[in-house]
Amino acid sequence: MTMQPFAYERAASVEDAIAGLARVGGDATHTRPLAGGTDLLTLMKADVFAPARLIDVKRAAGLDSGIAATDGGVTVGALATLADLERHPLLVGPYLALAEAAGSAASPQLRNVATVGGNLLQRPRCWYFRNPRTPCWLKGGDGCPARDGENQHHAIFDTRRDDRPCVAVHPSDPAAALLALDAEVTLRGPGGERTLPLAAFFASPTDERRLETTLLPDELLLSIRLPAPPPGARSVYRKAMDRKVWAFALVGVAARVNLDGGRIADARLILSGVANVPRRATAAEAVLDGAAPDDELFARAADAALADAAPLSRNAYKVPLAKALIRGALADAAGMGT
Amino acid sequence: MPTPSGEQPQRLGVGSGELPRWEEGADLSIVGRAHPRVEGDAKVTGGAQYASDVRLPGQLYARVLRSPYAHARLTGLDTGRAAALPGVHAVLSSANAPEIAWYEDSLLFDRTLRFVGDEVAAVAAESEEIADDALRLIVDAYEPLPFVLDLDTALAPDAPKLRPSGNLNGEPTVYERGDLAAGLRDADVIVEETYVTQAALHNCLEPHGCTAAWDGDRLTLWSSTQSVFDVRQRVAEALGLPEHHVRVIKQHMGGGFGSKQIAWKQDVIAALLAKESGRPVQLMLDREAENLAVGNRNPTRQRVRLGAKRDGTLTAIAVDAAQQIGAHPVGGEGADVPAIYQNLYRCPNVRTEQRLVFTNTGPAVAFRAPGHVEAAFALEQAMDQLARALDLDPLELRRRNYADQDQAEGKPYTLPEALGRCYDLAADAFGWAGYQKPPAAGPKRRGVGLAAHDWAGGGGSPPGYAWVKWNADGSVDVVTGTQDIGTGARTGLTQVAAEELGLPMDRVALHLGDTANGPYAPVSSGSATQSTIGPAIRAAAADAKRQLFEAASEFLEAPPEAMTIRDGKIHVAGEPEDRATPVGDVTAQIAPTMIQGHGERGPNPEDKSVRTVGAQIVEVEVDTETGEVSVCRVVAAHDCGRIINPTLVDSQVIGGVTQGIGFALFEDRVVDAGTGVVLNANLEDYHVPTAADVPPIRNVHLNLPDREANPTGAKGIGEPPLIPTAPAIANAVYDAIGVRIRELPLSRRRVLDALATREAPR
Ligand SMILES: Cc1cc2nc3c(=O)[nH]c(=O)nc-3n(C[C@H](O)[C@H](O)[C@H](O)COP(=O)(O)OP(=O)(O)OC[C@H]3O[C@@H](n4cnc5c(N)ncnc54)[C@H](O)[C@@H]3O)c2cc1C
Ligand code: SF4
Repeated sequence: MTMQPFAYERAASVEDAIAGLARVGGDATHTRPLAGGTDLLTLMKADVFAPARLIDVKRAAGLDSGIAATDGGVTVGALATLADLERHPLLVGPYLALAEAAGSAASPQLRNVATVGGNLLQRPRCWYFRNPRTPCWLKGGDGCPARDGENQHHAIFDTRRDDRPCVAVHPSDPAAALLALDAEVTLRGPGGERTLPLAAFFASPTDERRLETTLLPDELLLSIRLPAPPPGARSVYRKAMDRKVWAFALVGVAARVNLDGGRIADARLILSGVANVPRRATAAEAVLDGAAPDDELFARAADAALADAAPLSRNAYKVPLAKALIRGALADAAGMGT
Repeated sequence: MPTPSGEQPQRLGVGSGELPRWEEGADLSIVGRAHPRVEGDAKVTGGAQYASDVRLPGQLYARVLRSPYAHARLTGLDTGRAAALPGVHAVLSSANAPEIAWYEDSLLFDRTLRFVGDEVAAVAAESEEIADDALRLIVDAYEPLPFVLDLDTALAPDAPKLRPSGNLNGEPTVYERGDLAAGLRDADVIVEETYVTQAALHNCLEPHGCTAAWDGDRLTLWSSTQSVFDVRQRVAEALGLPEHHVRVIKQHMGGGFGSKQIAWKQDVIAALLAKESGRPVQLMLDREAENLAVGNRNPTRQRVRLGAKRDGTLTAIAVDAAQQIGAHPVGGEGADVPAIYQNLYRCPNVRTEQRLVFTNTGPAVAFRAPGHVEAAFALEQAMDQLARALDLDPLELRRRNYADQDQAEGKPYTLPEALGRCYDLAADAFGWAGYQKPPAAGPKRRGVGLAAHDWAGGGGSPPGYAWVKWNADGSVDVVTGTQDIGTGARTGLTQVAAEELGLPMDRVALHLGDTANGPYAPVSSGSATQSTIGPAIRAAAADAKRQLFEAASEFLEAPPEAMTIRDGKIHVAGEPEDRATPVGDVTAQIAPTMIQGHGERGPNPEDKSVRTVGAQIVEVEVDTETGEVSVCRVVAAHDCGRIINPTLVDSQVIGGVTQGIGFALFEDRVVDAGTGVVLNANLEDYHVPTAADVPPIRNVHLNLPDREANPTGAKGIGEPPLIPTAPAIANAVYDAIGVRIRELPLSRRRVLDALATREAPR
């Protein structure tokens, strides 16, 4: 399909863009900010989404693509591309997971235009959601055809909860890495700026908010901040795909480990490809914290991380797959990998 | 053959059967060389014209509305608002289109829709966007009907029926030789297993489509097709035109793989829209339509039984194959699954049974080595299993059951030694005999696997024609109605002409792909273009050369029999080299009189069977924890007779193996059971291999001229390289992890599920 007609505006500044979004009372189906367009335009071409107006924010003053060291941490502008993240000299050691996650996403061509802001805000790749021929709850309809259908790529967590009608997974790789790095996001709307943990930015869709994020329709994502990591921390991102490159994660694992006197402290373990939003494996982190790293520990952490998994009809394979990736990611983050 | 002067020739031109053979070791200077593609410059500079590049004054763009239901009756259709949209020039549907018969039992626009994607209406507008907007304005209403989407449901006793006659396309086809029951009784070991292959989508980079333009009552179609003459015939028939009023052109093509070997609806729809609007109309399918409505590789379920003696001698081969051909019989949908069972191995007792099953899914059509790819996956895994049961080397088992004749036809092969030579070459190049598995590294396991193939095609056959015209400057134009579907046929065929004429490549211009300008050539399928048209071109060139010598005889004061052409110069036997006369001196002398040679493809040998065979060996690494299968290396050896151009052969092998890796590991059309909607009719969810998935592929050249097949000794290589790849990979995966996976593709999910089942306590 080709796209339906829409109006195009270029915002000179963040204020302009927000005013444009607010003009329609924050109706997210009417006006949308446009960054790299790799997700938004794809949805429009698939006839899944047909906004009346796009506001291009790529040259809006107040939004940028910078990646800079700030206060011991790193700040990333919402317009930074995945290619920028993949190659940035700051994103090593404790921040390596982010570069690895960005580099594992999509294809080189896409990474050159896909922004990190858009990446966090991309919609699920559920093939029922993306197909205009199949109505579903997340698109405003009633049932979820994936639940008993072709759900091999879908969620393995929270699949039996009545308050979770959708079993799509969040497709972002960088999101998991950013969560493992305790990222915060700064948003701006008509009422001003707010900063919140990335963990609070993501939320499973609900009847009233059929979206994976809590960003309001008239808000922009300005930047992402990574606080100073614990000393000696290392992070990695491991991803399993259906082919070697250029595919969404079946499962992805971001792990951050730092060793304090031979024991793990403040571990972070985030899984992508398993739930509506990237999932923090707190039970596994509890197993890790304070323990001496070895393969047996990593295996216990992996088991703990998947203890609550409730696979659907066609995705039980994700459980052993996630466990294997977790073991490998932890070993690598702890510097014990092969 | 030169006719004695004064007598009328019986026939214009030369049949290729009358030519002397190019024997093994013949002194050829152009054939056999890695000449770069003659159209290479045009392709890399963007000059090559594909179907969607056609731009004519006033041209419109068409889009097609497709059935949203797997099975339904169209009960209402209002195209009024669509037709009224500014920029829309024509709308066609069952309401206003002529009743043109299509498939065997339906219409171009039928009111019964049999799959999600079946054509309902079409719009031509000034842009694709306007045409899409118009489609959105069409109000369509349907009465949904019960449907079946796969073999199991379609064959169930109380299954909903696609047709009053049921869900089988005709009676089962049974082939028998010997006594199967006796063969199984005599066996010391029996392997009995069921294998499942999936629907693979062709995904040609260039989608199907065409541009139609009328001039009075004459139609020109630029169509992305493997067969300009078949499209001409079908479109002329559908529109009630004489064939010569339809001209079909195809110059460059981004792949067909069988999916473009027939005329599809869009060829006629575009013509009708163009007639209706009085403007040229371009109708290119988008990727979704491409993957819904114009073919796929039929999914199969094959129950295989092999019986063998302790020493490996096969006593019985049997297969019951059910093939899911989709909603419509399009011609070429009944892929020949039984063939490999009948011929690859020597066996006295063979029974094959084939059932073609209709389902409410897109119609199947030939896909690169149709049937053989599906069958090899099953048979070659069964052979591997048998070898292990007998504690025999899988290669040795194959050698012990070597077939040196076509057992189905009861004729010897023209090259009975070819497969054995392929075994030797592949095994040597791979290091099969001395292969040592590297020690397991963590969860990673290595394994090797072998598979062989036989292919009914590659030999070519008549009819097929070519002309050669000498220009005044001593260059030639070669004209034939064949197609270059992206394989490099233009280059290989030009080499044949240049060789026979003794001209440098750049003095030969080959023209093809135009029904108005070239003589008949058949569809480019069956890996037959080089072997069908190559000999015809050689015959035409020989005819043109003979006439040139006759004309030169007067000027050069020498008998024609004493003349040869090398590097564009006529040499007379016995004369010093530096006395050679440029061909152009002769052609200029006689101009504007023009020498024209005519050639036709001669018959194949009657008492022998021409086939192509080969073998591949692969090494894989399987990660037993993450289910990842990595193909580490592939060695291929295939018989294609004389190699006309090694680069072109290598690129067919690399492409075929790549497609085989996709078929083995990722490619799988996913149909939603609840609706019949194809969920991955795109290149994002339908995964084809990337460069990172494809390891080094070594193609070892057999290069054995098949002198009895045709006078060039060359056979085709387009399809065969895909056949053995998937079973070789599956055998290697078994070798690595000790688990047999009998259903494709070998995705992480399938590997992990298989490992989990094995490891679960019983
Ligand atoms: C073929 C393909 C493969 C891919 N593979 C992967 C993969 O493997 N892993 C992965 O992580 N991702 C993958 N992606 C997703 C890709 O990374 C995202 O599409 C991309 O990052 C989105 O960024 P964009 O700038 O193009 O966003 P756009 O498409 O412009 O926007 C996406 C959404 O974000 C909103 N938006 C954008 N910027 C802002 C902002 N600053 N403030 C508020 N709202 C904003 C838009 O309104 C829109 O709703 C893939 C995409 C494609 C097409
Ligand atoms: S998983 Fe979510 S997006 Fe997919 S069909 Fe169900 S509701 Fe729709």
